[in-house]
Amino acid sequence: MDKTRYITRFEDEFPDKLRFIPGCPAGIYVRGDLPDPEKKTVAIVGARACSEYGRKMASYFSSHLAAAGVQIVSGMARGIDGIAQRAALEAGGTTFGILGSGTDVIYPEQNREIYRMIEGHGGLISEHPDGTAPLGPHFASRNRIISGICDILLVIEARLKSGTSITVADALDQGREIYAVPGRLTDGLSAGCNKLISEGAGMALCPDDLLKALGLLCEEPLSTSTSGFTGTKHFDLSSKEKLVFDCLDLYPRSVDEIVRTCRLSVSEVMELVTSLCIKGAAKECARSNYIRET
Amino acid sequence: MYSCVKTLSLCGLNGREIRVEADMSEGLPVFDMVGYLGGEVKEARERVRTALKNSGITLPPKRITVNLSPADIKKSGTAYDLAVAVSLMELLGKIPPQSTDGMVVIGELGLSGNVLGVNGVLPMLIEAKNMGITSCMVPSDNIAEAKAVEGMSYVGISSINEARDFFESGLIYDRDEEITNPGESNGNTKREVDFSEINGQETAKRAMEIAAAGMHNILLIGPPGSGKTMLAKRLPTILPELDPDERMEVTKIYSVAGLLKDGQGLITSRPFVAPHHTISPAAMAGGGTVPRPGECSLAHRGVLFLDELPEFSGSSLEILRQPMEDKEVNIARAAGSYTYPADFLLCAAMNPCKCGYYPDRSRCRCSENDVQKYLGKISGPLLDRIDICVEASRLEYKDMKSSDNNERSSEIRKRVEKAVELQKKRFEGTGIRFNSEIGVKDIDRYCHLGRREEKLMRDAFENIGLSARAYHRMIRVARTIADLCGDDEIKCEHLSEAIGFRSIDRRYWNG
Repeated sequence: MDKTRYITRFEDEFPDKLRFIPGCPAGIYVRGDLPDPEKKTVAIVGARACSEYGRKMASYFSSHLAAAGVQIVSGMARGIDGIAQRAALEAGGTTFGILGSGTDVIYPEQNREIYRMIEGHGGLISEHPDGTAPLGPHFASRNRIISGICDILLVIEARLKSGTSITVADALDQGREIYAVPGRLTDGLSAGCNKLISEGAGMALCPDDLLKALGLLCEEPLSTSTSGFTGTKHFDLSSKEKLVFDCLDLYPRSVDEIVRTCRLSVSEVMELVTSLCIKGAAKECARSNYIRET
Repeated sequence: MYSCVKTLSLCGLNGREIRVEADMSEGLPVFDMVGYLGGEVKEARERVRTALKNSGITLPPKRITVNLSPADIKKSGTAYDLAVAVSLMELLGKIPPQSTDGMVVIGELGLSGNVLGVNGVLPMLIEAKNMGITSCMVPSDNIAEAKAVEGMSYVGISSINEARDFFESGLIYDRDEEITNPGESNGNTKREVDFSEINGQETAKRAMEIAAAGMHNILLIGPPGSGKTMLAKRLPTILPELDPDERMEVTKIYSVAGLLKDGQGLITSRPFVAPHHTISPAAMAGGGTVPRPGECSLAHRGVLFLDELPEFSGSSLEILRQPMEDKEVNIARAAGSYTYPADFLLCAAMNPCKCGYYPDRSRCRCSENDVQKYLGKISGPLLDRIDICVEASRLEYKDMKSSDNNERSSEIRKRVEKAVELQKKRFEGTGIRFNSEIGVKDIDRYCHLGRREEKLMRDAFENIGLSARAYHRMIRVARTIADLCGDDEIKCEHLSEAIGFRSIDRRYWNG
């Protein structure tokens, strides 16, 4: 990858959006490209310890937005951040990682591959010089750059008190639009999102909602939110497999629950979920817990 | 003047004949004991002298020497006391000469002349029987245990005077009426537990049935309070009954360890051993200057339950590798090398992550790394020996209410016994007893896969990302599932179920 460049806030290349936020950094270290000011940018953020639902939603929104030409910005962290950026790259889009460490420090380790993939399809941005270790306080302060550099901040999954709420507060200060993906009321990981929506954030029911808000889509988005999400793949399933498949969800279901719902024996359910896994229609997310693959 | 009484010492799980010789001659008054004696045996001198005095026998002021022969074996334990006392009584003419011929004498003495129970009576008497000895004198505390050895005449005594009465007049203080079921245990199983007491947990119950049928080691994963311990405790109730040889083996170990309760004879139910996770390696394998059986031997023919598996120290778990491979444990100490059997079914339990609630994301806040790290604490080689892994799921409210239509342990055991019977037939003369013992080279012979089954395994490997290490374990489990169904051939449905119960590998889910 190219060498790290340092761009001060007084240079022309410095992103305009960033130049006028409160607490604008004196300069940024950049490796690779900077976001194209002509294109729209969406920041996708969320919990590091996310659920399977969060995973699915992050990659769903990110890949659709990236495919529509939207640049995806995120913090390169574990969980939602990394998943969204990976999905954007896999969809052939561009993505920018705002780091809490030097741009040459790979953190966290599991995102090493994204660092490699991002070459030529985006860039890494940090306000810290190369070699800076990923320290706690850096992450809270880089959040203002994530929200500053985007047009819309999309929150996928967040608890009531979380790092994401710092990003949201920054975005509000900077006058950015905020969208959140709703979740179940009982789900602690979605509580932050649901609260944002109740406080006036946009409800992200499908990627088209965001494209509309960005002015990239003229017609009304389809009201059935996940119509583009479920049932995209077709599996060749037997009637019993279908029965079990219909029981599955994005939230993990244990074999015991499936046994109760389907009224089949344990050995039958075990056999059916295994064949669903082999066919790619289900996935074991923890021992004896399965989710639907779509 | 000279007298000789036979007694026995313990060497691991085997008895060994010891002759107690006593001699009295003129000289300075002294009572000496020789014969490579350990500390507690040296002290026997004082115990014997006082006990005899309190039973009305005073040692004369002569030179008395007692020798425990063979004199090159280190003697330990307190079981020689009574034999020393009896030999002195014979020497002093308090009992008729040669009255102890063809008899072994075992027991510890108290100062008042009472006779106390000792450890290891069962293996001692088995050895005595092999030596051709037909009668034994044991503490009445140990009489039930002694009667487990058939074909001997037994004299249970509780004091030196009772021993004298027996030798003088053949009088036996019969306490048989106290033993309800001679030779068998009474009240060994504290409170009968049963699978019917567990509501829900259908998946875990099924996994346990498979584990019991093929003696597969099993790992239970589940949140706190989901009933992992409850499930594990009931595992012995669905294992096949102990056969007479196995009962003898188990009772021998418990006898040597001194864990038979007073008046307890043969152990008839399978042991369930649940050491705390702070256990030391020596306690797990067995240890001490004269090694005692460890927890893994106490679980012989039963269940060794390790709750909170990741909390166990690495060395305590690593030490299980040899017993799990060889079904016995070898302990070498300065005093000698001992072998104790250790053929157990390992049942381990753990939380899915540090907080215990993964994958329930509304409660679990562990990052994937934390989950990974928690799982990484378990030693890989140990995981490689676990065939089945299942989740004990969180209970729902309706599971809390008791229900009468749960399956009883006895019903499950019937199916298990059927499957064990099939395995017995299949492995006749091969030395293998259960499917879990099929060696890699025998897999093709006993677990033949048809074309459809081969394809299923190939698809599973490619699409689910199974690890090659787990392959043979899955096939063995599938063999057991087929046996439970009574099928000769392993079919796709058996394989699929076995894949669903497969052991976890160190890469956790999601990754």
